[in-house]
Amino acid sequence: MVSILNRKLRRDLRLRRSQFAAVIITIVLGIALFGGSYDAYQNLTDSYHQLFVTLNTADMTIAGGQTDAIVQAAKGVSGVAAVTTRTVADIPVTVNGDHKMVGRLVGIPESGQPTIDKVDILSGAYPDASATVLIEQHMAKHFDLKAGDTIQVLGPDGWMTERIAGVAASAEYLWPSQSRQQIIPSFDDFGIVFADESLLTDVPATDAHQEVLITYKSNVDRTGLDRLLEDFAKNNGASNATPLADLPSNAALSEDLAGFQEMSLMFPLLFLAAAGMATYVLLTRLVLSQRGQIGLLMASGFRKRSVFGHYLRYGLLAGAVGAVIGAPLGGVLGGVISRLYTGALSVPATVITARWSTALIGVVFALVAGALSALAPAMRAAKLIPAQAMRGLVPAGKGGATWVERVLPPLRRLPARWKSVLRGVGRNRNRTISTVIGVVLAVTLILTFWGMIDSTQVLLNRQFDEVNRQNAQVYLTGQATPDAVSKIAAEPGVAHAEAVADLSASIKSATSQYHTELLGFQPNTNLHSFLVGGHDVPLPQSGVFLGTSLEKDLGIKVGDTVTIDVPDVNIHTTQTVAGFVDEPLGTYAYMSLPELTTLAGGTNVANTVYLTYTPSAQPETMRNDLSALPSVAAFIDSQALQSMARQYMGLFYAFVGIMLALGGIMAFALIYNTISANIAERASEVAMMRAGGIARRTISRLLTAENVLLTLIGVIPGLLFGYVFAYYGLAVYSSDLFKWDLYIRPTTYVFTVIAIIIAALVSQRPVLRAVQRLDVATVVRERSL
Amino acid sequence: MNVIDLHAVTRTYGEGPTAVRALRGVDLQVEQGEFIVVLGPSGSGKTTLLNLIGGIEEATSGGLVVDGIDLSQMDEDGRTEFRRSHVGFVFQFFNLIPTLTALENVQLMAELVGRNHDESLAALDAVGLADRADHFPGMLSGGEQQRVAIARALVKQPPLLLVDEPTGSLDLDTGRQVLNQLRAVADRDGRTVLLVTHNAAIGGMGDKVVRLHSGELASIRPNERPLRAEEVEW
Repeated sequence: MVSILNRKLRRDLRLRRSQFAAVIITIVLGIALFGGSYDAYQNLTDSYHQLFVTLNTADMTIAGGQTDAIVQAAKGVSGVAAVTTRTVADIPVTVNGDHKMVGRLVGIPESGQPTIDKVDILSGAYPDASATVLIEQHMAKHFDLKAGDTIQVLGPDGWMTERIAGVAASAEYLWPSQSRQQIIPSFDDFGIVFADESLLTDVPATDAHQEVLITYKSNVDRTGLDRLLEDFAKNNGASNATPLADLPSNAALSEDLAGFQEMSLMFPLLFLAAAGMATYVLLTRLVLSQRGQIGLLMASGFRKRSVFGHYLRYGLLAGAVGAVIGAPLGGVLGGVISRLYTGALSVPATVITARWSTALIGVVFALVAGALSALAPAMRAAKLIPAQAMRGLVPAGKGGATWVERVLPPLRRLPARWKSVLRGVGRNRNRTISTVIGVVLAVTLILTFWGMIDSTQVLLNRQFDEVNRQNAQVYLTGQATPDAVSKIAAEPGVAHAEAVADLSASIKSATSQYHTELLGFQPNTNLHSFLVGGHDVPLPQSGVFLGTSLEKDLGIKVGDTVTIDVPDVNIHTTQTVAGFVDEPLGTYAYMSLPELTTLAGGTNVANTVYLTYTPSAQPETMRNDLSALPSVAAFIDSQALQSMARQYMGLFYAFVGIMLALGGIMAFALIYNTISANIAERASEVAMMRAGGIARRTISRLLTAENVLLTLIGVIPGLLFGYVFAYYGLAVYSSDLFKWDLYIRPTTYVFTVIAIIIAALVSQRPVLRAVQRLDVATVVRERSL
Repeated sequence: MNVIDLHAVTRTYGEGPTAVRALRGVDLQVEQGEFIVVLGPSGSGKTTLLNLIGGIEEATSGGLVVDGIDLSQMDEDGRTEFRRSHVGFVFQFFNLIPTLTALENVQLMAELVGRNHDESLAALDAVGLADRADHFPGMLSGGEQQRVAIARALVKQPPLLLVDEPTGSLDLDTGRQVLNQLRAVADRDGRTVLLVTHNAAIGGMGDKVVRLHSGELASIRPNERPLRAEEVEW
């Protein structure tokens, strides 16, 4: 008996192959994207971990303070494997003859690879007496630098020419961010140079600082060790203690990893829910159309359990086929994503592992989704009373005026055919709910990703058009004195120049500490906007503005006091928090420059110059002209940084584009199935209308209107749900690195609705073609026999 | 004047050895106002004949003129146009739209040919259901639903009403009510009614009884005194 039922199952599936294909495609997408994103997350985590192990990356990096004391203390801590020190300095560098930029010189021993934070030499050789520096791979690629070329480094006595020994990769600079505040690097303006320690001894003390690098033994309480060493660092005057996870590069990459992890949960949820809905609709329709057969089976002695199992198998089979295709596809996708990603970031080695556990989880997901969606129709089939079912009468469905007609009485005067459209929407409650849920899922997917595009664009616009008003920033070879600033301001094309202090500082509250950059501006500056509570407010004469994330991270509010340490200029002060500035990129502290000067005992603390151009000035010409000035040591072009940020967003947009396409496929599959069921249920009505002389075109129009109306009903909750989903989706990514506020343009809502309507229209085309081909005679005959 | 004029009409389904010849050279002439009952066992070609006359199906060969229109020369769009204004259909299963009231189901067809609300109501009144106009199909009995289907077919005021097993889903009393309505359509309105059934008892109601057997016209026999519905037993 079971084998015959299985044959029936196979033939039923063949008969409804396009509807089952739609279900299976949705399951395949869900499982493949789950496998792809989860494996990519695992592969990337493993790749980074392997690199950290190979290059013996520091588990803790402590900057500044009493280095010797910190080293001694760290060596005495159980769980610490090794301790070493190095010198690091951000100083002006010239590459390719005249391109001035900021170079981070990271000290490496003359004798050979450091014990901690080794470098992976990709070409050339380790530095020696004749060639003293290694260039980090991103910088080398950007400026086409190789072994044998030279760069110039600004020493106390002027520019020093250094020969390049090779190109290297580093685990701590996989993503070469300057700091947590400047997480998006501009390769034009900033690069990493690994230099012989002896070279760094020539660097002025204010530009260089010592770092203590510490590695941990395996199987230790890392969090406890982090906390202990952070205390040592604080007690010994260190400006910053950074665990491995908080390194700017690592933190940026972790954001991406978190994204992959989140996606590996979100995709199966959305796609399998959609597949479940489509299966439910399909099987409900199947059970309804097979009432007579079910009645006959049960009357002939089939147990309820057999009937239940038979219909449950449809869902399980759809899930199994989806899993068989989706799981290996996910494995392949995971490898492809991992390679593309590590390739884009120039990660030296990529670990790709085939994970049976991921495939197994995918299979379980697919089977559970298939079984759950088939559960209700299978139970309904098993509960049928044979005598009733064998009468073969399909319940006519409920009639009644819609609430819309009750609210809007003029609708009652609509032609009968349009009333049938209006009432058809609520005719089958389960199908209506399924369609609405399906549309909600599709809208959610589309709106979430489209919302991310909008939010990213708004984030970049706010940062580069509203917050940062300068066209460029220059570092001078000497102090940013009023005289030096005036000279810059007098250059052709410069509209305004202003001295700014850009200092490394620690902000401490009663409970926590945060290391950041403290920027000192003139109180009436127009080179930076301070957005507090949505308004552009002037910098206070006294007190400090802090980035919004510190409100939570330091546990403070406006009016509280914080302690600020700026070791480079010997400032140790307690300041009142005057406000929290809403800035998308980084978390800075801001004070008035005169106040900082006073706190530094009258010493000029300004070390950089911000400037704006006249409207006719050309950015490239300005870079060349200003970089050529002997007084200019390094040049940072705001536009280049902005271009770099937008360039990286290009990858993101491509990814979002793929997601939008997948959302469209999901919407198509789901709407196709519900519309198929809708029309299949009404074959006899359609036949009657055709027999009555109603043209096929008119019938198609009526069905289209009904289905579009049904889709539109799902759009409204979909937009609401999508907004909430996108809001919380982005909130996950908000940190001190990026502050993601959801912003969705009004046009995005419109385009989302249009996209869904297009998906609905496209998905019903094959169904409408079936209406066109409907053989009225056959339908009439079937019903008449 | 002949409303239906069939000459050597054949209808074959499929090709080759599996081909089924549903109608084999049928000749039939029906005059206006006649009530014709087509009888025959299952598979005799009754429904095929009805579908050909109604323009739902296309004849494989032969001449087919209905209400003066040559259907053998028509494409699907032309036949749709033909069905709209020349015939009304009543099926065994009423196929009412459950979301529309009885009156609105009638209006659906009325709007098609520009009939107004009053004419729809009049059609319902003619089948004795004016007081049920606002009821939805789910609230009507089987007989009432079939009468709504008759009103729906009649509201277009077609010269020809094609009826397929109208009592197949009804009990005797309800079936009689429906047959009464159909008979009245011919007697009162002068329309031609072609009723297809396998129920030989209903044959007594026809002005003529056409018998089909294996796709061939077995006989056409006039009834000298057609029975009233109340006299029919099955």
